[in-house]
Amino acid sequence: MDPSEVEFLAEKEVVKIIPNFSLDKIYLIGGDLGPFNPGMPVEVPVWLALNLKQRQKCRIVQPEWMDVDKLEEIRDLERKEETFTPVPSPYYMELTKLLLNHASDNIPKADEIRTLVKDIWDTRIAKLRLSADSFISQQEAHAKLDNLTLMEINTTRSFLLNSLNCMYKLRSNLQPGSSRGKSQDY
Amino acid sequence: MPCERKPMRYGHSEGQTDVCFDDTGNFIVTCGSDGDVRIWESLDDDDPKSISVGEKAYSCALKNGKLVTAAANNTVQMHTFPEGEPDGILTRFTTNATHVAYNSSGSRVAAGSSDFMVKVVEVSDSSQQKTLRGHNAPVLSVTFDPKDEFLASASCDGSVVVWKIEEQTQVISWPLLQKSNDVTNSKSLCRLAWQPRVAKLLAVPVETTVQLYQRDSWALVSTLSDDLGTQPINVVAWSPCGKFLATGSIGGLLTVWDVEGKLCVDRQKHEKGYTVCGLAWHPSGTQIAYTDTEGCLGLLDGLSSSSSSSTMAIKSTKSYDDLFDDNDDDRPMDEGVSESGSPAKNLVALDDEDDDDLVPATGRARNRSAFLDDENSLDPGSLKLGLDKLGNYEDDAGSAIVLPAASAAPLHPVYEGPMPTPHQKAFQPGSTPAHLMHRFMMWNSVGIVRGYNDERDNAVDVEFHDTAIHHAMHLTNSLGHTLADLSHEAVLLACPSTDELASKLQCLHFSSWDTNKEWMVDLPKGEDVRAVCLGQGWAAAATSALMLRLFSIGGVQRELFSLPGPVVCMAGYGEQLLIVYHRGTGFDGDQALGVQLLLFGRNRQQVIQGEPLPISRRSHLSWLGFTAEGTPCFIDSEGVVRLLNRSLGNTWTPVCNTRDHCKGKSDHYWVVGVHENPQQLRCIPCKGSRYPPTLPRPAVAVLPFKLPLCQTTTEKGQMEEQYWRSVLLQNHFGFLSSSGYEIDEEAQSRAQKEQQELLMKMFALSCKLEREFRCVELAELMTQNVVTLAIRYASRSRRMALAQRLSELALEKANQLQGPEEEEEPLQYTRRNTGFCSQVSGGTGRSSAGGQPRATNVLDSMTSSSRKPTVLLGSSVSAGKLSKTPVLKPLAPRPKSKVPHPDRKQILSCYYIPVALWVKYHVFVCVRPKTGFQLWLEENRKSILADNPDLEETDVIKEAMGRFRNLSAGDRLSWTERAKGDEGDLKKRKRAEESQGDDNGQNHSDENSAKKKKPLDTSAKLSAFAFSKN
Repeated sequence: MDPSEVEFLAEKEVVKIIPNFSLDKIYLIGGDLGPFNPGMPVEVPVWLALNLKQRQKCRIVQPEWMDVDKLEEIRDLERKEETFTPVPSPYYMELTKLLLNHASDNIPKADEIRTLVKDIWDTRIAKLRLSADSFISQQEAHAKLDNLTLMEINTTRSFLLNSLNCMYKLRSNLQPGSSRGKSQDY
Repeated sequence: MPCERKPMRYGHSEGQTDVCFDDTGNFIVTCGSDGDVRIWESLDDDDPKSISVGEKAYSCALKNGKLVTAAANNTVQMHTFPEGEPDGILTRFTTNATHVAYNSSGSRVAAGSSDFMVKVVEVSDSSQQKTLRGHNAPVLSVTFDPKDEFLASASCDGSVVVWKIEEQTQVISWPLLQKSNDVTNSKSLCRLAWQPRVAKLLAVPVETTVQLYQRDSWALVSTLSDDLGTQPINVVAWSPCGKFLATGSIGGLLTVWDVEGKLCVDRQKHEKGYTVCGLAWHPSGTQIAYTDTEGCLGLLDGLSSSSSSSTMAIKSTKSYDDLFDDNDDDRPMDEGVSESGSPAKNLVALDDEDDDDLVPATGRARNRSAFLDDENSLDPGSLKLGLDKLGNYEDDAGSAIVLPAASAAPLHPVYEGPMPTPHQKAFQPGSTPAHLMHRFMMWNSVGIVRGYNDERDNAVDVEFHDTAIHHAMHLTNSLGHTLADLSHEAVLLACPSTDELASKLQCLHFSSWDTNKEWMVDLPKGEDVRAVCLGQGWAAAATSALMLRLFSIGGVQRELFSLPGPVVCMAGYGEQLLIVYHRGTGFDGDQALGVQLLLFGRNRQQVIQGEPLPISRRSHLSWLGFTAEGTPCFIDSEGVVRLLNRSLGNTWTPVCNTRDHCKGKSDHYWVVGVHENPQQLRCIPCKGSRYPPTLPRPAVAVLPFKLPLCQTTTEKGQMEEQYWRSVLLQNHFGFLSSSGYEIDEEAQSRAQKEQQELLMKMFALSCKLEREFRCVELAELMTQNVVTLAIRYASRSRRMALAQRLSELALEKANQLQGPEEEEEPLQYTRRNTGFCSQVSGGTGRSSAGGQPRATNVLDSMTSSSRKPTVLLGSSVSAGKLSKTPVLKPLAPRPKSKVPHPDRKQILSCYYIPVALWVKYHVFVCVRPKTGFQLWLEENRKSILADNPDLEETDVIKEAMGRFRNLSAGDRLSWTERAKGDEGDLKKRKRAEESQGDDNGQNHSDENSAKKKKPLDTSAKLSAFAFSKN
């Protein structure tokens, strides 16, 4: 799984938009959307919101958590806690990136939000690295992944698994090697 | 309590200052950051005596000829007064003292210090000290309990503590203030004050309010707060009598409160708006001296301690003058609006420049007292001030008018009746106040018009919700437009007149197909536009000359007419124009508004002719408009949404209270649109204000409607509420169809279905509760089909009596359904007609009558003659709401209309064999179309009657049944077939029969009874009626 796939999943999240056109309900396989009334907030998946936004058919209303005060709170908590704290949305990073890249004009204090989310992300990734380090150094067999988002797991997965594989190989090579070595010693 | 604000005097260099009076009130003593104490004989003393007490003086207190100062050299010093000789050092701290205070007798001095300590020192023996420890930050202020038992102190650690002096212990501590690390960083000096004499209350300035705590219980008794006070209060001081409390705030606002009534009796603004940091009452209570952080000394003169209720009342009217006066741009946004249920809060004292706004009565009274003053009839209050004060008056040019109220008050012709309310100013619904720099000039269902008026730009932005209508526009607002409206066709802007320019109306007709998309009209000189609105193809402007000018959307001047009063606001929708104006003067905070509703369609008419607008008490109009479906609707400042009920004589029904949805007390909903289908109130939640800011862009929220019916927590109440809401909100279908619009038939039938379902549910509920009478009442609201269901329900739940009554009801309903078709009797026809009319206006519309309760038609036809006038006015009572005595029904459904009435009854009774026993059969007959037998009977009745002329009605049927049975099976089958195929041409046949001139009563009634069993398609009936009418 690569980040673009995670982003694809994130696009299924719903977000509120204020359309500037009028359209009846549209019936899609994934569910009904609309009706779209100009000026009235309506919930649609992110992919549609972005599409409409790119065609200048709507304004995107930022999700409730995408607010400087709330994010500051989360960041501070994240820094204070040893373990991972619950995040406001399972796709907070992806959504922030998507919405801020495409609709930063609809989101007040977009830059601050971007910085804050990046801060949260960095803190969490640092934690993740630390815990991966201790995981390996203490030779644990399993670890809890509470409150980790898909994207975060994804960033470390390939590297961690590969390195674990490598280490396993090295270790398993070492043992026959060592036995061979021993035999050679003799 | 009008008082005079004397001009400020320069006293000290910039920095914290303090002020006090001496015991006699002859001297004002100030200290300041230049380290001097100055003794002023009066405000005009050009050569005050100065005593240097140190590098800086933070606070001073004076009693019994001993002046105590807190100076920067970490000491609390004493000087003799008025000589100013040093009299020793009372106490020392490790750092500077911040505040000193005497007790009431002058025997002790309390001093608070930046080293977190409070010391209480005996004046006579400075070695006798008590130290109160416990604060965790510099002490802001101290005050003695007048009974010498307690001491209160405030500190930068945010706490206000009451100490027991003798035991040096804390009695109570409140965390009231904002924390800070030093006195200089503290937001407020928080000068506490204990009520003198009775010593009952401790006043603590907390942010913008003053909290009063009760002695001994230490409970918060009350809070004095004021909408105008937006800045933290720095200092409070009690009047010597203990009735009034003066406060001075950061922004320089001085307020005097009547503590008992919690009324603000006076309010003055520092002439430069500097922070007030010292406040002292003259011992006589008629003057207040104050100092600011710029080192200036000011004086309020002419305060009276005997404030009568009449002065209070006058003050309140003044405040209402202010209420709608938006000249003062520095006001907070929602200040111009009364808070619910607390008129005291609205008391807005006038600044000097507002004096010309006074109600005439006050002005006259004041002037008269000024004349009396000339005749040397001064009252003791002002004499007490000393003769030297009189000289000051003469110096002051304005002094002839402004006089101490102490002398004016007793001379007032006291009027204690209801006070007139100032008129609400005209406004555009959906706009925010004009004094805001960035504001919404209009937010409606079409789009948003924003106005910017700051240094950089004076512009108007027009944005459409639906960009398909038009793209967004940006216009420079060189004319200074303040009013705007927006429709699918045009933008209408209007500006008030200036000295040179006349008031203008500008219209951007963007939907025009030619290239000239703009027109402008100058109003006659001296006439100002007060309100504008747009409809379909027209624009309207109400002016200050009580005129309403109509324009076509292309700029042709159309009709104009006079308004009965000054306009408040207008709204347009399609061909409808809704105007609200001042009908007269309201009293005690109420507005007296009138409303007109005009139609400009094919038949131009005035639908509502200047009736009073029912608005909540002590509120004003805050929004006026139409629902998306075209029903007039308005909202008052109490948040109540009222909708026009066209089916109930154009009455207004409250459908929602937006305040119910607010979380906080100061939160409001700013309404931008109302929709009846779906039921939505579109509004913008405003936290802590009445209006939304333009940035960040507010988001629309949706509120549901809820009729304020009783007991909506119970299931019954809920269903009733739902039912009546549904009935009310589908009224527009009737209106729209009658005025020739297409209607969403599907939505209408859905609404009707919902209503019938609710009725059935309520019926079932009443059945369960054994409320059979109520069941019948409910059944009267049902359509005939649903009544049948109800009968079935009743019989299944073994309520035979109920079922019987219902079946009678069903019968009548069936009768009524047919009513309009019959036209052989002119008298009857007119009666039916009225009944029918009432049905139409009852909301179902001409083309569809299925959903509307029909039961009352019985009553309609019985009492129609008396009700006809209202019907003619187009405003009949809603069918369902009529209460009727059920006794009427079983007796005589139609007293005069049918000639052979008794016979008919008999026939009925024979068709409907005893109901209690044969309910099922009854139902069967009731709903079924005609059977073959009945058809046969109709054909052959005459021959039967001819054969047996003396037969009773029942016997006729028996005989007929016998004969019918004797027919061959094939014949019977053919009759049955006919019965099935016959429904369509039934009417035709009937008319044919009628044209034969057969007025045989029995036959006729029989025919009726036969038809009764066959509920015809309603619309077919109605159309048949329409046909026969012609």
